[in-house]
Amino acid sequence: MTQRIDPEAFKLRLERISELFAGMVVHAGEQATERCPYKDRHDQCTAKFVCRNQRPAMQPGGLQGCAAQDGELEYRSAWDTLGPEKAAALRDQLRR
Amino acid sequence: MAQLNQIHNEFLRQEIEEHIERPDERQRLIDNFVKASPAMQAISAALIEGEHRLVDQLTSEAIAAGTEALEVMDNGLIAGMAVVGIKFRENIIFVPEVLACARAMKAGMAHIEPILSASGIQPLGKVVMGTVKGDLHDIGKNLCNMMLRGAGFEVIDLGVDTSSDQFIDAVEEHQANLLGMSALLTTTMPNMGKTIEAFIDADMRDQVKIMVGGAPVTQDFADDMGADGYGKDALACVTLAKQLLGVKQ
Repeated sequence: MTQRIDPEAFKLRLERISELFAGMVVHAGEQATERCPYKDRHDQCTAKFVCRNQRPAMQPGGLQGCAAQDGELEYRSAWDTLGPEKAAALRDQLRR
Repeated sequence: MAQLNQIHNEFLRQEIEEHIERPDERQRLIDNFVKASPAMQAISAALIEGEHRLVDQLTSEAIAAGTEALEVMDNGLIAGMAVVGIKFRENIIFVPEVLACARAMKAGMAHIEPILSASGIQPLGKVVMGTVKGDLHDIGKNLCNMMLRGAGFEVIDLGVDTSSDQFIDAVEEHQANLLGMSALLTTTMPNMGKTIEAFIDADMRDQVKIMVGGAPVTQDFADDMGADGYGKDALACVTLAKQLLGVKQ
């Protein structure tokens, strides 16, 4: 293998990739306020955990469906069984 | 001015035609893809589709055929990822598709890495990442992985439901200098502290910097359990990783 890469040239590419990814991460954060991040473009669930919004797959062996409505349901409550008060209490307990 | 029909790859032509509406972005993509060879266009198309095996194959073939690594990055991988970014911003695709494309990019970059190594370019650091035992939520951790790799870190992803022993074994095996733990559930957060204790018990705590994150995790919680740092999101994760390893920002 005779190829060599100039470190400065490679650094410029990393900066470009980081810039692209950073934009995506910011958008992901915004989008997560109204759409479950595990829901793909076909409204299928890609999560590895159980969620109350999951529905049977349309195809055998396919991904499960998602019943959450974008912008309407607080999807996180379907994941975590602890409410905010209990979570805060547990945090306090852990700190002590 | 280059025209859409000058792009060799039909899939790319369709993607631009159907999904890229802003004239400036459309023309920039057309200009870039017209300059790219059919082989680079094929890599971009496979990446946009999230076809990691195909990106792996096409990148391997391109490098073997003597294509410059930077050309593969510019005209194949990064050019494709630019389209992904626009489609995501416009809500045409969502986080799972973005992560599939990032996985495809990683597959392509795997063929660039030996050339980087031969050129004396080392990763910024080796990071072991995982969601803690009992927790199966991985989107946040996967976005962190994407950002870390994009910034030049080598990431060893242990996935979800990772035990203390698995973290310890991975750090030891890969000689990682950084460990990232994620938890989304308040019920699994304590497993971060247990893992840190396991590193102390194994006399390995000084070998690795430990960062934590996840929706319920706070700076106070991270401090209390003895982590070296807390990142509130994937952007903060990269800043923190660089800071912990003393990488100039």
